[in-house]
Amino acid sequence: MTPLLRFELAGAYRGRTAVLFAAGFAAASAGVAIAGLAPGGSLAVQGFARTSVSLLQLVLWVVPLAGLGIGALAGAECHDLEFVAALPLPRGRIVLARWAAWTAVLGAALGVGFGAAGLVIAALAGAADAGRYAALLGVAVLLAAATLAVGLWIGVAAKARLRAVAIATVVWFVLAVGVDLAAIATLAILPPQDAAGGLSLLLLADPVDSARALGLGLFRADALAGPTGAALRRVLGGWGAAALAAGLIAWTVLPVALAGRRLARADL
Amino acid sequence: MIVLERAGKRFGERTALAELSLRVAPGEVVALVGPNGAGKSTALRILAGVLRPSAGRAAIGGHDVVREAEAARRRLGYLPQKLGVPPGTVVRDLAVLVAGVRGLPRAAAERELAALGLGDRLGATLGELSGGQRQRVMLALATLGPVAALLLDEPAISLDTEGAEEMRAAIRAAKARGVAVLFASHYLHDVAALADRMAVMVDGRAVATGTLDELAAAAGVPRGEAAGEAPIERIYRVLVARGRAGLRLVRETAA
Repeated sequence: MTPLLRFELAGAYRGRTAVLFAAGFAAASAGVAIAGLAPGGSLAVQGFARTSVSLLQLVLWVVPLAGLGIGALAGAECHDLEFVAALPLPRGRIVLARWAAWTAVLGAALGVGFGAAGLVIAALAGAADAGRYAALLGVAVLLAAATLAVGLWIGVAAKARLRAVAIATVVWFVLAVGVDLAAIATLAILPPQDAAGGLSLLLLADPVDSARALGLGLFRADALAGPTGAALRRVLGGWGAAALAAGLIAWTVLPVALAGRRLARADL
Repeated sequence: MIVLERAGKRFGERTALAELSLRVAPGEVVALVGPNGAGKSTALRILAGVLRPSAGRAAIGGHDVVREAEAARRRLGYLPQKLGVPPGTVVRDLAVLVAGVRGLPRAAAERELAALGLGDRLGATLGELSGGQRQRVMLALATLGPVAALLLDEPAISLDTEGAEEMRAAIRAAKARGVAVLFASHYLHDVAALADRMAVMVDGRAVATGTLDELAAAAGVPRGEAAGEAPIERIYRVLVARGRAGLRLVRETAA
């Protein structure tokens, strides 16, 4: 491990953000697992498959918000690292180390949350579909990595913390809600066969929608993937999952590279 | 060797630094003095690679700070005026980073801090330290390892008498090791005690550079004349006043 990555990991780990996120996400995940309403209104534990679909909704709202917010703050903070920037390190590596550290910390926090819910489900409802549940954790980590990367890019470009968080919040709303609204509007205007290509691109252009389609696909719940997910199945067929995963990776690599390049040219 | 050649920096319409040329040889200590906003920090930040020059060039150890940034910073120690790391940073984490980047074992950094009486503060965050302790930590880390050029921006700020003496000792030790030292300071007594040469800056420009004797001659102030204030203070006051009036006496004495 490089000294810089170790430094960034220590900083990310020591902050209260990761602990609070892990505790909050664990409580919410266990709540989702336990509070599935059984017929008659009593509390019962759902199996891994049903719980995962519910948990995915939590992931799609909370993970991008945390990723974009934390990334934006971490990116803006890069402008305060005058001492570190004067060390013999490429500035792009500062961004890369920050992204890697926060991805590891958020990934661990997600692991705690998924683990808490998984233990409850396994103990009370059996271990069927546990493998797919673990894969869903992978999708959540991919989404965290991508939104952290976008947040870092926003933070580095915005410089000021408040501005960075404000922009990140708007971007979160667009990714979590706005793109779906745009897809629904597109479908309302165009016939489905004409809209399919555009909607597929729209899905790949939105990491949150990509994660939703990927997560639902794991449990063969594609019917819930929304208009963009349906369009992607029609256009890409079996390659859809690979395209979505590649899209999420691109959403990670590109913003980190752009943030690194921007920081390298910036006056601190 | 620290080199600035007609270096300039503009922030929009405002000129923060204009055509500053300066050389600091190995084993030489040069001070930048001048009122607030004179461009001292801007010059140091350009050399540290924190700001990109709008004009001219800057080099450390023969490496251009923009085109060969990493090589230029390889043997550079830099103490910024502001903290330069998040205040939540733990002292030990920062020490391990600096030691790791400079190829030293972490024990070397911890030993350095322990020698300053800060061994019991390794687990504290920088924000938890007093201003003086923080400055001593940052100075110790800036000078850690095989540093060949040292840039110090207001190194005595927040320091008590003991800390200021440590700082002066650190600069003298660096000079003795052949390190080229460029520092900015408002403390003229430190400048007189430490600097081989000084550059007086006003409004982003160097008004005069040279040894104290050369500047005394340029200012028309006899070195021995006290007149209620130390000679360096009178020299400084005269040169700054001339600088504000638009006069330039710049004579870069390349070492």
